[in-house]
Amino acid sequence: MTILPKPAAAAAGLLVATVCLAPEASAGDGRLVIKVGRIVTNAGPDIENGTIVIEGGRIRSVGKDAESRWDAEVLDHPELVAFPGWVEAHSMRGMDRPNENIEVAPFLDVRDSIDPISFYFEDCLRQGVLAINVQQGPLCAVGAQGRVVKPFGLTIEEMTLRPASGIKISTTRPGRSRALQAQSVRRAFRDLRTHLEKLVQDKKDGRDTARREALFQGRDPDTADNKKGRAMEGSAPWKVKDFEIVPRGHVDEKQEPLLRLVEGKLMAFVSCDGAVAVVQALEIARENGFLANTVLVLDGDAWKAADRIAEAGVPVVLSPQLLYTERDPITGKEIETFVPGVFREKKVRFALQSLNPSSQSLWFQAATCVGYGIPRDEAIAAATKVPADILRLGDRLGTIEKGKDGNILLLSGDPLAVTTNVQYVVLDGNLVYDRSKDRRVMQILEGVEQPNAAPIGTDDAEDVDPHSGEKKTKTPKKD
Amino acid sequence: MSLLPIAFLALAAQETTTRAWTIQAERVYTGTGRNLEQGFVVVNGGKIAAVTPDVGGDGGRPRDQLRAYAVTAGLVDAGVRVTNWFSVEQSSEVTPHLRVADTLDPFALDWDRQVRNGVTTVLVSPVDRNVIGGLSVVLKTAGPDSIAERTVKADAVLRGSMGSDPSAGNRPASGRPATFYARRPTTRMGVEWEWRNAFFTAAENRASKDPGTSTLVAALQGKLPIFVQAWVTQDIRTAVFLREEVQARPEFAGMNTPRFVIDAAAEAWKEPQLLVRSKTPVVLPPFPAEGRTREGAQMAWNVAKVLEDAGVPFALSSHGSGEVDSRLAMQAGYAMSGGLGFDSALAAVTSTPAKLLGVDQRVGTIEVGKDADLVLWSGEPFQPGSRVVATIVDGVLRYEGWTAVQGAALTR
Amino acid sequence: MIDILFAFATAVLPAEGTLAIRARAVWTGAAVLENAVVVVADGRIRSVGAEAPRGVEVLEHPGVLTAGLIALHGPAGAVGETSDGTRPALPEARVGLAVDPRSVELVALHAAGITSILVTPDPAGITAGTSALVRTADGSILRDPAHLSLVFSAEGLAGNRAPTSRSGALAMLDELFAGTRGHVADAKAGRLPCLFEVRERDDVQRAVAFARQRKLAGALHGAALSGELASAIRGSGLAVISPVLGVGTPRRVLDAVAQLAKEEVPFGFGLDAPWNHQDSLRLSAVLCLRAGLDRAAAWRALTANAARIAGAGDRVGRIERGLDADLVLWSGDPLDLASRAEVVFTRGVARTIQHAVPAPEEVRR
Repeated sequence: MTILPKPAAAAAGLLVATVCLAPEASAGDGRLVIKVGRIVTNAGPDIENGTIVIEGGRIRSVGKDAESRWDAEVLDHPELVAFPGWVEAHSMRGMDRPNENIEVAPFLDVRDSIDPISFYFEDCLRQGVLAINVQQGPLCAVGAQGRVVKPFGLTIEEMTLRPASGIKISTTRPGRSRALQAQSVRRAFRDLRTHLEKLVQDKKDGRDTARREALFQGRDPDTADNKKGRAMEGSAPWKVKDFEIVPRGHVDEKQEPLLRLVEGKLMAFVSCDGAVAVVQALEIARENGFLANTVLVLDGDAWKAADRIAEAGVPVVLSPQLLYTERDPITGKEIETFVPGVFREKKVRFALQSLNPSSQSLWFQAATCVGYGIPRDEAIAAATKVPADILRLGDRLGTIEKGKDGNILLLSGDPLAVTTNVQYVVLDGNLVYDRSKDRRVMQILEGVEQPNAAPIGTDDAEDVDPHSGEKKTKTPKKD
Repeated sequence: MSLLPIAFLALAAQETTTRAWTIQAERVYTGTGRNLEQGFVVVNGGKIAAVTPDVGGDGGRPRDQLRAYAVTAGLVDAGVRVTNWFSVEQSSEVTPHLRVADTLDPFALDWDRQVRNGVTTVLVSPVDRNVIGGLSVVLKTAGPDSIAERTVKADAVLRGSMGSDPSAGNRPASGRPATFYARRPTTRMGVEWEWRNAFFTAAENRASKDPGTSTLVAALQGKLPIFVQAWVTQDIRTAVFLREEVQARPEFAGMNTPRFVIDAAAEAWKEPQLLVRSKTPVVLPPFPAEGRTREGAQMAWNVAKVLEDAGVPFALSSHGSGEVDSRLAMQAGYAMSGGLGFDSALAAVTSTPAKLLGVDQRVGTIEVGKDADLVLWSGEPFQPGSRVVATIVDGVLRYEGWTAVQGAALTR
Repeated sequence: MIDILFAFATAVLPAEGTLAIRARAVWTGAAVLENAVVVVADGRIRSVGAEAPRGVEVLEHPGVLTAGLIALHGPAGAVGETSDGTRPALPEARVGLAVDPRSVELVALHAAGITSILVTPDPAGITAGTSALVRTADGSILRDPAHLSLVFSAEGLAGNRAPTSRSGALAMLDELFAGTRGHVADAKAGRLPCLFEVRERDDVQRAVAFARQRKLAGALHGAALSGELASAIRGSGLAVISPVLGVGTPRRVLDAVAQLAKEEVPFGFGLDAPWNHQDSLRLSAVLCLRAGLDRAAAWRALTANAARIAGAGDRVGRIERGLDADLVLWSGDPLDLASRAEVVFTRGVARTIQHAVPAPEEVRR
């Protein structure tokens, strides 16, 4: 697949981003009334000929008859189906680059590398993915903090749904042995512990290097929060004695996110490319007290450790490859395993990932699950409610219910059918996407004429001799 | 409570005897325009014996039952390629008489994958490293462990390519140690030159017993179709104009009726009149996710609908790609998302390619007397929410997916 | 190869003269005879009986007397000389001309009881020439040319010279077999068997089809799973040379070899010495016993059938009157890997093999 060259892409992206807005979109006041032929609430039975009222960016009511203010803007489409936005539990796209070269970098934040005009977010809108947890890639030991974003907005602040959604940890790295990688991750936590113990010791010895370092790092050690010290919280098996004597502001900013993780205040997204990596990941999480906040991002044959995962009670994000294929070493035949089925059987909560952001997005993955026997509501949940819960946004996303964010897709048909299109997208009560004005859709899905080819429908081209460029005088023989 | 089997294996070739089956489905999509709701397909001796709304009292031998939501004819993929480098003889750019069938391995795993995806008949072509690569073969994807015994039509199609594929790997001879890759063609026009050189030389020596020449003569006489790979507009035009030239010039008298089919015609939608006028059918490659295929061809998802409206016969194909999202059933789904109706999409993966390959007497629809090549689906065919639950080739069950899938079962 | 430093042969009797050998057991190939006497004269087997004739020197041995083993593939004797990829078709090349009678690999083979070896050209192009059956004792030729090598495996293909494809290879073979002279003409007329180099099962299918189409005789070498196509091979009349087997060989391969015996397809083992150790020849046969191959069939693969495949079935491979006296006296059952060759006869000339580690019987003394 050829991708347009970068400068052209950026320019085109900007164009589309502005054109996507329908002219009648409200100026962001978050008030909208939507009337559709069917509402798939994802929280009970569908509602025929229903109305959704959104105010202040939140759903105020959902039902058959709903009253609305006289000056409310109405989106009236009895031919369409309303559906809550899909939720991408984990994505490495949308950034300038998905990986950093630094091994242990929890102080980094994807905020600094997310590109709001990336084609990826456009594709998300087009495919109805309305919340994306952007995380760093797996080429690190402990990586940057991620962020849940909406696929709309020209600045990262406008896009952010939840900052600091979790730290990326990776138990595997290509070109490196598992043992070395596991040691790197363990060492990061050992270094944290050593650092905290040193802070305690320095404080007891009356040294103020930590305070000076804080000033050097640009932090004010005298704010109310930074002056206070408190004992280490959380359920980690190791605790640093007398840590309460250390003002919190003295903790090195490079170590501070890891401390928050150990204290149970941050989530960890741990990528595991195999069953062995899963076991290592669970061990490291237990050893450092963050098992309850861990989400495993799986790949390869990690599904083979499903029993361990069930035992540990952690949720998982599945690889986009839903079918795992391996060869039987004796017969040579291929064996396929449907991975979501394994986790369903072991009663592990699982979320799906898109295979391809522009065509085989979450709807496709959910549909594929239905094809392999997962009940429809569970398949849809795996790409809506379950990822919302995993991201601790279950009270805001995943269903069309009173009190949730006003994020609605208006679809031309069943959400899992290949012939269905996303016609409109409403985000926080604002209309942000109108398919009829989406130029890239017209190019990918409906064809746009190239400037230097003959226009469709005329006969001019075929009457020109390709060798001389002259108009042909002879008519070709009939068959 | 639904059982959810987790792992499943393709049936090994233990099923060597054809069986008699009664297949019951809520939707029987015959592909003839006549579909049945709640119908039965009866298979006997490897052929379709009956298609009825009511199975009636069948006093014959006992049959095995299969039931699923939908049944269609086995899919026909006109675009399967053998992609390994030793499928085509590269010591010469024009090798019309060499057979790709001689290079195939009946034990390869690719056949099982095709069967799992519901494809029962394929046209296998050599990889397009040569200008004219040789003779393609139409095969069933399952059967006895022998290419000869799976062959539906030997020497079915003469395969060649326009564009840049055949010249890739060639370089001008200059200073480096000579291998036969230091040769023409290195450009598109060189490729076209090879074609017309081959044609004109065959016309001059038409009586020659040389197998390459006699193959070209037969192709020019229309005895076997010529599949030309041409992704972009200029290559499609080149192919069509070449054909028209052959039809018009006196040198080709007596052998001026070649039948061209454009393979991988991603940009066919741009000038459909050209194809209609020259009566050239096309085979489409997989729909690209981002609007451009390889070779930079622009292919929109409504291409199939545009071609249908313009009256160009077309088949969909996977172009030999083994990837999950390029499989043939999904191409039909994407064509539907681009506006093509279900019946047309079904035809594009069954009866149309069967006709293009000249095997429509045996495969392509569910009709009495045709080969019992059938695919059973858990839901509406071609939707990602449904999948192939069983594949029958020549009356033998070659793949069995699940049992008890959420009520949309394959049950025995 | 280190073994040869310890194996050391001395001649016991001159070539002329008559010798009677009495062993505890004699494996003629057709039967096992207890305490039998084999009389050897002028390099041939004169008789097999219960008594030694009067006036003839008798060599008594407490072990087992058998025909010498025959290994069926490899460059041993001509290492470094068997690979020529310059042209895809070299039907007139004779690897027999490259054999060095004093080469060290032959000594090692001889010490292991392997009295002759089929030296073969490496598969390259469509044909790399002819094979030769060579005696390990002195490098003398038993049969040259023994086979015309024809390549059906992907090893014959190359990226930078014709043929680059299987279909191209077949076209070149067709052209080759249009020839009317030399080794190709002999093969077509049935005077020279062919050695079909194969690896995968589809290679076997193509080779069998080619052989049937042109009514060629010979053997298929190199496809470990040939046995899975045993009935098709039987219908063609071809034999099979199995690749050497080892301790790690998958069970599926052993079953395939056993299948050949069930379908009565004659087979032997290609040792590919010196890349494989000389004792691997017996090991291959022994491993097949695990898959149900019976002892007689395993023994035939090492001797009588191997001789026939090599085109010398009327000269070696069995203990029978009139055949050459290529014999081995083993310390015990030769299908027991603890046994070793103690005396090896080549055309009646005996050489004692001395091993550095004493045989098991001696230790118990």
